[in-house]
Amino acid sequence: MTATTTTLTPTQTQTLLLKLTVLADDEIILAHRGGEWTGHAPILEEDIALANIAQDELGHAGLYLTLAQSLGGSDPDRVAFWRGPDDYLNARLVELPKGDWALTMLRQFLYDTYEALWLEAATRSTYAPLAEVAAKAVREEKFHLQHTALWAERLALGTSESTRRIQTALDELWPYAAQLFQPIDGEAELTGVGILPDLSAVHARWHDLVTRHLHDKCGLILPANAEAGAGRDTHTEHLAPLLLEMQSVARDYPDAQDW
Amino acid sequence: MTQPHPQPNPQHHDTQWPRWEVFKQDAPGRPHQAVGTVHAGDPQHALLTARNVFVRRPAAVSLWAVREDDLLTATPEELTLNPAVLNTPGEGGTYHVGVKRTNKRSMTFVDLSGTVQATSPGDALRQAQVMHPDVLAWMVFPESAVIRTDDDPGTVDSWFAPAKDKTYKQQSSYGVIGRHVGELKRSGLMPRQVNEEPHVGDHKVYDHPHDTGKVKP
Repeated sequence: MTATTTTLTPTQTQTLLLKLTVLADDEIILAHRGGEWTGHAPILEEDIALANIAQDELGHAGLYLTLAQSLGGSDPDRVAFWRGPDDYLNARLVELPKGDWALTMLRQFLYDTYEALWLEAATRSTYAPLAEVAAKAVREEKFHLQHTALWAERLALGTSESTRRIQTALDELWPYAAQLFQPIDGEAELTGVGILPDLSAVHARWHDLVTRHLHDKCGLILPANAEAGAGRDTHTEHLAPLLLEMQSVARDYPDAQDW
Repeated sequence: MTQPHPQPNPQHHDTQWPRWEVFKQDAPGRPHQAVGTVHAGDPQHALLTARNVFVRRPAAVSLWAVREDDLLTATPEELTLNPAVLNTPGEGGTYHVGVKRTNKRSMTFVDLSGTVQATSPGDALRQAQVMHPDVLAWMVFPESAVIRTDDDPGTVDSWFAPAKDKTYKQQSSYGVIGRHVGELKRSGLMPRQVNEEPHVGDHKVYDHPHDTGKVKP
């Protein structure tokens, strides 16, 4: 590893803490949507596979929030289960309802491509603890990507119905994906000193990879590029009911010591 | 269920994807072992689902998948009843031989013991029977039918390495309702465990990568 631990200024610490929360929130919400398929996926094998993927994403959230805690953040369980929709900072892409299998697989593919590229760049962070987290998580993300890329291809090149479904999913999700590449306030400073990956570079690589797979290989039509839209504090109506369900056990048993 | 014995419908097609036997190698130099099956639409899909189903937790370094149609299996009883299975025709070439030696095992069912040159699946089965006369079952399949995970560092890193860092709760760390199974066994109310090989829960001890402990998934 060439990364060295950079000493963070107070401002950098606050920005990094916020960024880690943003990263974790995307993972937590997407993991919940993935988990909603448990017992409902088309076949048992895919049920298990998607639950695995969801659990991995939740594990990545745990890594981010544990690192955030070391920078002064709250206990990861408090962060996950005791913030409401006004405080969650996930991208709107991941909170949309799970839809059909095509939408679920395509969303996961778009997200996995982004996450694999971001993590791969983050392994070169000058902030060693982040580089370590990224090195750990990127391995799983590369596997997820193989799985979801395979599904995108099989659906796109399958029957006329599967092609229609995945094209519909792409048309719906594409505008939402742009938000993943919207930097948070102060992120440019951390990118400048090599602590965080350059999101615009990640975006360019993402666009290239996604185009090669979905368009060149799978024959899907990519919609026009969209603006990121409102910030991460703005959500659709779908987030609140998701959190209500996801947080219900933790809130019903606030004193639970063991799970 | 209103019909206890539904009549087979000749119009009904099996909508299941093909079944693939999955073989897992725990460590370099160890034999691949049959661990179960997956349904999958194609070879690559079979390997991906096999990885999720069979190697998320235990250590592994390689997976094979073989389509059900490419396997030939037999027990000694089946050979006695139907010796013609030794004449099963097919391609000649290199065949893998697997044997099942014991019923006292969970998680793995057949160990691959090596390869033979055979003129057909039936011939491979005949050779397996000669080499391993005292086993519970034989399995043969052609080398050409094997789908393998790559052994490049990238695949090993993303398919198999993460499992080594994963931890989980052993069954025994959960509370039980009623009387614990061990208590029932000690008082003679339940048969003794048939798992006589070294196991911790369902995992053979030698491939169990983690200490028993209280850990989160």
